[in-house]
Amino acid sequence: MTELKRRGFLAGAAATGLVAGMAPGLVWAQGQQTFRIGALNPVTGVGGPYGSGMQRAILFAAEEVNAAGGAGGRRLEIFAEDSQTQPQAAVLAAKKLIEVNKVQAVVGTWSSGVSLAVIPLTNEANIPLMHCSGAPALSVAPANAKNMGWRFQATNERFGKAFAEIAQREGFKRPATMAFNNASGIGNTEGFRKAWEAKGGKVLESVVYEPNRPSYRSELQKVLQSRPDVIVTGSYLQDTTIILREWYQSGQKVKWIIPGWAANPDLIKALGPEVTEGIISVDSVSNENARSYAHFGNKYQQATGQPAASNVYAAMTYDMVISLALAMEAAGPKATTQQINAKLRDVANPEGDKVYTFAEGKEMLAKGQKINYEGASSVLDFDQHGDVSPNFGVFFIEKGQLNRRYVVAIG
Amino acid sequence: MESYLLAIAAVALIYVLLTLGLNLQYGFTGLINFGHVGFFALGAYASALLSLEGVPLVLCFLAAALVPALASWPIGLISLRLRDDYLAIVTLGFSETVRLALTSEKWLTNGVQGVPAIPRLFAELGIGRIADYAVVAALLLANVVAVLIMLRVVRSPFGRMIEAIRDDEEAVLALGKDPARFKVQVLMIGAALAGVAGAFYAHYITYIVPEQFVPLVTFYVWMAMIMGGVGRISGAIVGAALLMLFLEGSRFLRDFVPGITEVEMASVRIGVVGLALILFTIYRPQGLMGDFTRR
Amino acid sequence: MEELAFYLNLVVAGVVEGITIALAAVAVTLVFGIARFPNAATGDYMTLGAYAGIGVHGVTGSLVLAGLGAVAATGAAAVAFYLLVFRKLAGRSVVAMLVASIGIAFVVRSTLSFFFGHEQQVFQVPIERALSFGEVRINPIDIRLAALALVTLAAVFAILHLTPIGRRMRAVADNRDLARVSGINTGRVMMALWLLTGAVCGIAGIILGLKTVVAPELGWELLLPCFAAAILGGVGNPLGAVIAGIVLGVAQELSTPLVGFTYKLALAFFVMLLILLVRPQGLFGRLEAVR
Repeated sequence: MTELKRRGFLAGAAATGLVAGMAPGLVWAQGQQTFRIGALNPVTGVGGPYGSGMQRAILFAAEEVNAAGGAGGRRLEIFAEDSQTQPQAAVLAAKKLIEVNKVQAVVGTWSSGVSLAVIPLTNEANIPLMHCSGAPALSVAPANAKNMGWRFQATNERFGKAFAEIAQREGFKRPATMAFNNASGIGNTEGFRKAWEAKGGKVLESVVYEPNRPSYRSELQKVLQSRPDVIVTGSYLQDTTIILREWYQSGQKVKWIIPGWAANPDLIKALGPEVTEGIISVDSVSNENARSYAHFGNKYQQATGQPAASNVYAAMTYDMVISLALAMEAAGPKATTQQINAKLRDVANPEGDKVYTFAEGKEMLAKGQKINYEGASSVLDFDQHGDVSPNFGVFFIEKGQLNRRYVVAIG
Repeated sequence: MESYLLAIAAVALIYVLLTLGLNLQYGFTGLINFGHVGFFALGAYASALLSLEGVPLVLCFLAAALVPALASWPIGLISLRLRDDYLAIVTLGFSETVRLALTSEKWLTNGVQGVPAIPRLFAELGIGRIADYAVVAALLLANVVAVLIMLRVVRSPFGRMIEAIRDDEEAVLALGKDPARFKVQVLMIGAALAGVAGAFYAHYITYIVPEQFVPLVTFYVWMAMIMGGVGRISGAIVGAALLMLFLEGSRFLRDFVPGITEVEMASVRIGVVGLALILFTIYRPQGLMGDFTRR
Repeated sequence: MEELAFYLNLVVAGVVEGITIALAAVAVTLVFGIARFPNAATGDYMTLGAYAGIGVHGVTGSLVLAGLGAVAATGAAAVAFYLLVFRKLAGRSVVAMLVASIGIAFVVRSTLSFFFGHEQQVFQVPIERALSFGEVRINPIDIRLAALALVTLAAVFAILHLTPIGRRMRAVADNRDLARVSGINTGRVMMALWLLTGAVCGIAGIILGLKTVVAPELGWELLLPCFAAAILGGVGNPLGAVIAGIVLGVAQELSTPLVGFTYKLALAFFVMLLILLVRPQGLFGRLEAVR
């Protein structure tokens, strides 16, 4: 298929979707109920690089559900807000969503600070909060006292464990760490330290740095002085770009294990294949081989012009809407928000036929079968805390490409 | 809707309290404080940490006033020996230092993880509208008290001295008075007000983390003061209200103006803040509530 | 021996950091000395320069043209904002100017983020290995950027001391009223000042952009160290600003074995405060008077 034909095909598919979406729309015009979802995403602030993609994913997920005739007889309606990646702004935005827009779920909060500040409000309103934050505190009471908090991202601890698994598997003996001075950065490297020491290893050096520096040369020197064979980071794209550039300039040989939100195609674009060769990028991209991921990836590419791999959180927010909609479908037309909340595990966890899209799930549910939604972001099985345990994809950067070598599963 | 309006009212009143403090410092005394958020943060952390140790909230709030006031004391002493406009940079540096210390001193502040589950005010009323009303009422009361304190300060001989300092420092010096001492005291009162505002903030949001206390907060307060009217008590109220109207109003704007993405809206929001600062400085330096004849 | 190399490398890191912010500090100090207020838009002028530079570099592949593009863009912006804003505030308080400059900073940053988004951009230039002098490493790019900063500084000096307009600028810095009475057209002096400041910010933006990654908040985040360097160097003293920038950079890097890496900014701030307590006029005092 040539490029041109491919595009024509996609456009045709989009047009079909549009028509399919419009027909039920006519029905809804005659008094169909709606289910209101608040999309509270980090469009600006530290989460800025991901927020708008997350929001787009929520929007097209809702379109997809509506195009399939809605969920539980209801049409999804999205109200989008910017959390500004700041708790105060997020609290006001959440109040607005809950009080003014009367949303029945809040999805897509990102930083732990924001989620911890918002969850008391969603608990108070008895609506679910679906988030991609790493802080362990979100699993348990008081934050998750009502079991209405759902985590679509691995906890920082699980990330750290995965890093340790990988370091061991790759035969590294002398690790050191570098962390961005925030909850997520330190969470990753401390999680790594715990897991590594549990394996009987020792971390040679741990450096925590403040962001927004013009240079990280002395931080690097400190870490490199301990002559590590691998440096594990909890870092973001901008600081990682500068750090790796300065490391390459230094000429000292070392390997890197970096979280996927920093070691991504943008990093390769910024530094080129030579500098990034051999970097190990770890991400909770769990379900790359699943149909749901391909399905999502297509839509994401269409909506944003970017590959799905450029934004792991977008897949999570997409799954939030789809799983919520499946729970609505399972709970039936008259269900309360609590009843829908209670159905989430039923539609997402095992013992049920695997489904990969909302439409498939809806069809199976209509036949009275049990389903297990396999998400785009992970297999999406919630534990007793409402946390998923995504698998971790281990990518090696080779000649400017992110190649996945293997997958690590953390229980 | 009601609860959302109450939330806006609470945050607006916190900003009013901050603006009153800044107005006392700059509006009445001419002290250029660009580190207001540092005092706000100290108050928030002091009260939050003490309350989690089981200290009664009344004492926590007292500490929230005392800690920033004491912290501002050496700053005042040091920087008043320097040029006026250096105070802006010294205070800005101070607030960043506070943020870094809150981030780094894990043993005390829990560092980047922040302080969760801070007790709410009036927790015995449960969570809901009644408690929200009580919080807003308490904030109103705090603001009234702050205004009374300010009026006392402004109208006292001390206060007339303050205005004299603003208008002509050399004349005061010639009278044999020491303006530096008054300035330090005013700096401390303003810092205490910011600290109390911080305590309200901590117990309202119930979760604080150092990254909430960035210099942007200081600039918002400056914007409120300038829009409302420098040196006017009513200006602080009107300015903070305008600020909230603008920050929150832009959310609703987006519900009605399609075609502008949230990312672009965020840019527009910051741009409008900037434009407001420029236009007010040029065309209405006295602010909305200011003296129309003076410039 | 290894110990010594460790500290020498820290010194190199500090010098490089100092040089990275030095020209921005020069821009701050020029405005502070002549127009008499701390210009909070300096950081965002640099960001503008970095974006303009990346744009031109992307099209032409030439760093020289990128530099010229940056100088043109920031020079034009600085003059435009002078005409639209600061000229109207002539004779008003320091705070009025400062607040207006914060407003300009926000406007510039929001315009950049509106049109170019928040994604990071980088200069696509090859990355070279450092030169080793024993255990001490120096990056070739840092040497070139230091040379660029020095040339720019020399040019600023030449303009201030060898040209008639520079002489007038110094006269205004010294005593604005006296300058006006002696028939100096302060409007024209201000135009020249902002053009010069803008140009310096443009080059500073290129240096910063080459060292780091370009994003809308780039310059704003570095404002505090620039202010500290300008004040410490003696307001209105460009050479002082550069030296102070380097002093602060070296001090903060050398402190890291003792206080860790997260307190760098605070340390620079305290060094500034301590020196000011001893020498309120800064290390080198104000731009010297015209005799």
